[in-house]
Amino acid sequence: MLAGVTAKTVRDRWKGWLIGSATLALMLWWVMSIYRSLDLSIYTSMPAALRSIMQIPTQADVGSLAYGAIYASYGALTLASFALAAGSASIAGEEHAGTIGLLLANPVSRTRVLASKATAMVLLAGFGALILWGGARLFPRLLDVGIGGMHPGALVFHMFVNALFYGFLAMAIGAWTGKTSLASGTTTAAMVLSWLVAGLFPQIHGFENLAKVSPWYYYDAGQPVFNGVDWGRLSVLAGAIALLAAVAVVGVNRRDLLSQSVGSTMVDRLRSNPLTKRLADRLAGSARVSGIWIKTLSEHQGLLIVTGYVMFLVMGVLLGPLYRLMDVTLRNFAGRLPETLLALVGHGDMRTAEGFFQVETFSMTAPIAVIAVTVVMAARALAGEEAHRTMGLLLANPVPRSTVVVSKALAMVVAAGSVGFATFAGVAIGSLLAGLGMNTADIAATSLLATLLGLVFGGLALALGAATGRTTIATYGAGGVALAMYLANAFLPLDAGLAGYARWSPFYYYLGGDPLNTGMQWGNGAVLGGLFVGLVGLSVVLFGRRDLRQVG
Amino acid sequence: MTSQTAIRTQGLTKHYGDVAALVALNLDVRLGEVFGFLGPNGAGKTTAIRTLLDEIRPTSGTATLLGMDARRESVAIRRRIGYVPGDLAMYPSLTGHDTLTYFANLRGGVDWSYVGDLAERLDADLTKKVGDLSSGNRQKIGLIQAFMNRPTVLIMDEPSSGLDPLVQREFQTMMREVAAEGRTVFLSSHTLSEVQRVADRVGIIRHGQLIALESVAEMRSKAIRQVAFEFGSPVPPSVFRDVPGVRSVEVAHGRTVLSFDGTIAALLKIAEQHDVIDVTTEEADLEEIFLTYYRDEATP
Repeated sequence: MLAGVTAKTVRDRWKGWLIGSATLALMLWWVMSIYRSLDLSIYTSMPAALRSIMQIPTQADVGSLAYGAIYASYGALTLASFALAAGSASIAGEEHAGTIGLLLANPVSRTRVLASKATAMVLLAGFGALILWGGARLFPRLLDVGIGGMHPGALVFHMFVNALFYGFLAMAIGAWTGKTSLASGTTTAAMVLSWLVAGLFPQIHGFENLAKVSPWYYYDAGQPVFNGVDWGRLSVLAGAIALLAAVAVVGVNRRDLLSQSVGSTMVDRLRSNPLTKRLADRLAGSARVSGIWIKTLSEHQGLLIVTGYVMFLVMGVLLGPLYRLMDVTLRNFAGRLPETLLALVGHGDMRTAEGFFQVETFSMTAPIAVIAVTVVMAARALAGEEAHRTMGLLLANPVPRSTVVVSKALAMVVAAGSVGFATFAGVAIGSLLAGLGMNTADIAATSLLATLLGLVFGGLALALGAATGRTTIATYGAGGVALAMYLANAFLPLDAGLAGYARWSPFYYYLGGDPLNTGMQWGNGAVLGGLFVGLVGLSVVLFGRRDLRQVG
Repeated sequence: MTSQTAIRTQGLTKHYGDVAALVALNLDVRLGEVFGFLGPNGAGKTTAIRTLLDEIRPTSGTATLLGMDARRESVAIRRRIGYVPGDLAMYPSLTGHDTLTYFANLRGGVDWSYVGDLAERLDADLTKKVGDLSSGNRQKIGLIQAFMNRPTVLIMDEPSSGLDPLVQREFQTMMREVAAEGRTVFLSSHTLSEVQRVADRVGIIRHGQLIALESVAEMRSKAIRQVAFEFGSPVPPSVFRDVPGVRSVEVAHGRTVLSFDGTIAALLKIAEQHDVIDVTTEEADLEEIFLTYYRDEATP
């Protein structure tokens, strides 16, 4: 192992882990203080299956509910996302940056470089887990909340191992392909899918055992917060991690390293085929470079295809028939849940197909998908061009800075609209296939609001990038605010005294008017659209005022 | 300013916090010349160029290009300039042709037959992705994008970086052609032999300040050179010691070698009075001149 490589990787990434983990820990504190003032008796009468699908622990009390709400799902997803970002960037990231040659010009083997990167990832995940564990122990004491009989340490340990699984999966894909976007995109899709499978399949008769194909099952099926570390299931994950590490070592040693990673897109492959060359040349050659906005859009085609595919097929078309298969009594019971509890899952009434889609597709996954696309695009739009030193060349052309900002924002609108449309089409077809009778216009309205919500946070990332020229600030700043705003909208309404503050969250204007049942809320749409336009305007001003960064 | 001025800066100053990257730069670059802009790393060359292009804003002072204010009229200026940044970076997933199409669409009015000519002259491959090209071949794409709209002013920061000698020579010819057509090349470079070969005038910048601004010929005439005389009979060194410009005289193996700056006429007049068999001069090159300016690095 190379201590220098490990230290540099840790140094490059520890701030992100610190901010992410500390935010989650603080959210735990906040949510715990809200739960403390609620009547929790409803939880004890819920069927186990329903508690499972809504991520509510069996022995519902303040501590376990807060751990379940913040750590078990959001926390685990966040920690795993950080790990997969680190894993995908380990070798492929050095290739993408063109630094792998310099690194390997030293007397070190590829295996040692990979091992050093893996060690850094383990250390970072351990660092994040330590912060989460500290919060899990400290805040109950500060709030005088009893956690007797609970094992928050075991939960955090499970989260740590789970995060490493996805980190090593991304590392293995990156080691075999040298492509960071492929590694992170594929692993993210695998993570979301496995999270869904582990949550949904146990609720469907005849499919219960299929959940075991999902890695997520081995993380949370043992309910570590109540039962302590589930060594049996964790050893399955640990074995998978060891296997992925070995796969990564083989992969990185057997292929040619890339001096600078140049992605090969579907259009590239069509261009190299004599049969399709002419058409693809016209489409890809002249069309994709005909303007700033369309070129920006084409740079993110991979991200758009993966996200659109997941939203259309997995979160849309497949969910309709799945809902049909779910137990009727389970669905009926869900309809009698109190409003305070429904706030957790976007106020979805599971008796109806609309409520089910609200819980599964629209409350969290659709916003994550659209926000991920817009924030990634926005961060790369201005700050990314500066980081890659192409902004100077672009602005040497007779194009005002304001045009560049507006063109990039236009690309974001088209991209967010595409993901929103894929979601709409998927849910509408899923409803049609399963005969659920959902109103198409209402699905369209909700998808449109999701698109506008994504654009608000994309606009925020654009403004942060315009002000600072730094992709990390744009990405983590907008992502962090989005997470905080989501949780604020989900949990503030649980406390009558604080409910009014939820209006400060853009998420309130997304599902607050129940568009899946009541149709388009034009006022809410105008608020979100206005916010986006305002943030783009702010970006124009901020970008126009400052010196471009000189990188390199 | 006259209509013959391509670039003019007046008191152009740029501070980064406490660091002065550019100090009261006064510069006039004419139309129809190749202007060499010299200085070591960190001297302020790139800062000056980035200010001209409105990438960064001056702390004080003004810059005009073709009579237009670099800040207020930057878009109109950029319609008439070509630019090659130092440490050129482009979009790795685009082919050379796509890259040029992208910039041509942003500029408008690009003659593609001229692009073809440029590609042929520089032996550039436009079909490969930029990310798959070597640095020299990538640089060629950067040069074509700067030349392709026949700009009135070409601003280039280390443009020869990575080019092989044959392509370098062709590129130098292209720069001279630009000047011959009455257009301007502003060339920031470390390749002093290249600047010496193509530049009409040279500005030397040190610690953000312009310390010399002259034509290459003037600069070379003033530079210290070595002149060696071979005489039929021994000539004492004292004969030359009082000639204006003579720094030192050495006599060895029948040759009298002088270190000398100034015009050679006075020297020849003295030599003629003796039995001169042969005279050789070693012409001062820009590198020597440049080093002379920088030898005393301790005194800014």
